[in-house]
Amino acid sequence: MGKSADASCMTASASAHAMAAPAQSPSVPWITRRIGRHVLHVDAAGRFLLSDHDLRNRAERGHLTLYEHERLTESGLLVEGELGRLSQRLAAQQRRFHPGELDYLILVPTLRCNLACSYCQVSRAAEGASGYDWSDETRDAVIDLVRRTRARHLKIEFQGGEPTLRCDLIEAVIDAVPPHVEATFVICTNLQQVPPEAAALFDRENVSISTSLDGPREHHARQRGQDDAASEAFESNLDRLLTRYGPGKISALPTLDPRSPPDPDELIDAYARRGLTAIYLRPINYQGFARRQHADCRTTDARWLEYHEAFIRRLIERNWKDRSICLEESYFSLLLRRIFRPGEDRHVDLRNPNPFGTDFIVIDHDGLAYPTDEARMLARSGIIDLSIGNIRQGWNTPARDALNAASTCDGDPDCEACTYKPFCGRDIVDDISRYGTIDIPRHETEFCRRHLHLFDLAFELIHSPDPAIQYSLCRWLGLGGDRLPAERLS
Amino acid sequence: MIALALRAASDAPAPFVTRLTRKPDSDPALSHFLAATQAGSLWSGAQGLFEVASAAEDLIGDVVLVDPFEGRADRLIRSASRHNTLVVTEQCDQLCAMCSQPPKKTHVDRFDLLETACLLADQGITIGISGGEPTLHRARLFAMLESVLEARPDLTFHVLSNAQHFTADDALRLRSPCYRNVVWGIPVYAADAASHDAIVGKAGAFERLMVSFTHLLRAGARIELRTVLSSSTAERLDTLASFIARNLAHIEQWSVMGLENIGFARSRWSELHLDLRRDFDAVSKALDRAILHGIRPRLFNIPLCHVPEAYRSYAVASISDWKQRFSDKCAPCAARPDCSGFFEWHPPELVEEVFPL
Repeated sequence: MGKSADASCMTASASAHAMAAPAQSPSVPWITRRIGRHVLHVDAAGRFLLSDHDLRNRAERGHLTLYEHERLTESGLLVEGELGRLSQRLAAQQRRFHPGELDYLILVPTLRCNLACSYCQVSRAAEGASGYDWSDETRDAVIDLVRRTRARHLKIEFQGGEPTLRCDLIEAVIDAVPPHVEATFVICTNLQQVPPEAAALFDRENVSISTSLDGPREHHARQRGQDDAASEAFESNLDRLLTRYGPGKISALPTLDPRSPPDPDELIDAYARRGLTAIYLRPINYQGFARRQHADCRTTDARWLEYHEAFIRRLIERNWKDRSICLEESYFSLLLRRIFRPGEDRHVDLRNPNPFGTDFIVIDHDGLAYPTDEARMLARSGIIDLSIGNIRQGWNTPARDALNAASTCDGDPDCEACTYKPFCGRDIVDDISRYGTIDIPRHETEFCRRHLHLFDLAFELIHSPDPAIQYSLCRWLGLGGDRLPAERLS
Repeated sequence: MIALALRAASDAPAPFVTRLTRKPDSDPALSHFLAATQAGSLWSGAQGLFEVASAAEDLIGDVVLVDPFEGRADRLIRSASRHNTLVVTEQCDQLCAMCSQPPKKTHVDRFDLLETACLLADQGITIGISGGEPTLHRARLFAMLESVLEARPDLTFHVLSNAQHFTADDALRLRSPCYRNVVWGIPVYAADAASHDAIVGKAGAFERLMVSFTHLLRAGARIELRTVLSSSTAERLDTLASFIARNLAHIEQWSVMGLENIGFARSRWSELHLDLRRDFDAVSKALDRAILHGIRPRLFNIPLCHVPEAYRSYAVASISDWKQRFSDKCAPCAARPDCSGFFEWHPPELVEEVFPL
């Protein structure tokens, strides 16, 4: 599999030249990239075609064969008529994120937690500490924000600390949602204990549960610095809730140490045997306690990519062998959806541009507003204060504007020359967290290398003739058949 | 079947529209129930007394058009139904091979009466507008939609149109916010002009349709595409899906519809009919292509047991209550509440070709 970017990206003058021959020329430039022995052509609308050769020169000169012309037209890279041109421009616009109403809130009612995991990303406070919960004033302001929502659909995620230590606050927020608004709630809990008031919240139909499951018990326990009994308590809580609600209401994700990730099969088994089919691989990221304790993580990027790819390939093999359960790695599924579907923009860490404080916001235990949960963690661990406002005065602030000016792939020389720009996005908080600056070449960032690798993998798999691969891709993209309807030119 | 046109008697000087209520009301647009009669029920309103040949219980809440000259009451908007369609004209400039309501030459303008009916509709419902071809009378149609939606922004219209008449000027008009409540249901049968034109019986139809699509796209109009499945459209369905993904990905829905054994299709049934239990492959490939590109397909008028399991979630219980039919074999079927069933006029021997899920 080729991972090197094609250096000969189409320049502005080349595209202007292409416009001069209207019969066969692209109305937007194509950018190419080698995938194995083939060449992937992509336009700004995210339309693509894999071919044995780079077709740009001949397209510009009007020397395409009839067959090539047909395949390019089918792929949408060459357009027909006024409707085709308009649709292509619309699709290119839809590849960009256009923020709507604020409809996604991440709320941290308390920073206190009953665990102290080695990798804790939130610089938690001790369970008995005081001053780490919402004040009455903050609570009232959050409730007011929820009451005044202009969104028709609202998603509210309760994070912590351990939010079930303050179920009263969760309940107050839930009850503040206006009756005409369709709201869903996610409680992110370690499930170490399930007090009766938490159980009552879980019973609500529009409440779902998100927890961490790091793999087999020994691995899970080691990550959390726990003894076996504590891990057993967590597992029995998880299994009890799964029995009660079924897997639809509960999601789990593993937080993994990239230096010593668990055997993929052991990790998959921990999920599959519980009927949990979606696994979102999350490497420890370098914030909070984790930043101090796992400082060597920075250099393990490459090994992590190998692990991630091996994991996806293992899922494909398992899905092919056992059709009774279909497992997926959630982030890879997201990338696949973004490849085929313009406007798939609700994953807030991967979109372009990615303006903060628009459709989602994080409200911390002290009422401060953060652009993302990662930004909150950076501030908590004393690295950089990325708060953009607070719950009382809002976040229409110069701090937000300063971040938003940079929160885009547009104008970045690497991104503008990248085949994957229509599918990719920008996460400046990740850059700040890793490098303390956003001002380094994109291709030298972990974010860029990871996404190049995953998109390369995605396009290799999309075009693979292997029926096992095609089977999983169809499941992950929600198709009924066993083969993607995606053509290539060869 | 539920009868939509009832015998009626009235001394009113002209046809009128009224909403039938149980109790007297000061609103002059309403008529209230007086008494049960041998023929049905007697009603009283601003237009005097009138009798309708149906029991009152079935009619309460309905908006009816009473025509004293024809001796008829049309149940324009039935209160309990999700399927209310107003026919604004019976003229059409296409002659589709599978047309379920073949056109007539003459046009009777009922727009004012239909507008009154819309204003009397229940809160928040969707009203279908059909024909013939509604946009043959574009000025009257647009005026009706705009004036109803100004008074009743809670309503939504679904207008079936062959989209042969939209102009650049219309694109400006359709940008008005009230058209957020209007969905245009537009048939497209193939991705190539020759095939599409042959099916709709009009040379140049495909090209004109594409022109209309550009106007509608510029207007930001809401569009539902409709493709009737027949032996002639099925084999080209995947090519059409690919065309839609490239050129019409902004649509809200692609409705792929089973053939209706009525109108023109009735005489050509054996030629057009497609047995989906055998020939679903072309359909599934096209559905997959649409889904892959984020286009929402829906299967209309197809019983669930004729659809492979992987695609059943796309099948809609679409056949209107008043013309819906099931086989006796459907009695034990668990999926029946979600199933379209058959049209009342489906060939009887085919209605038996079902199996309970």
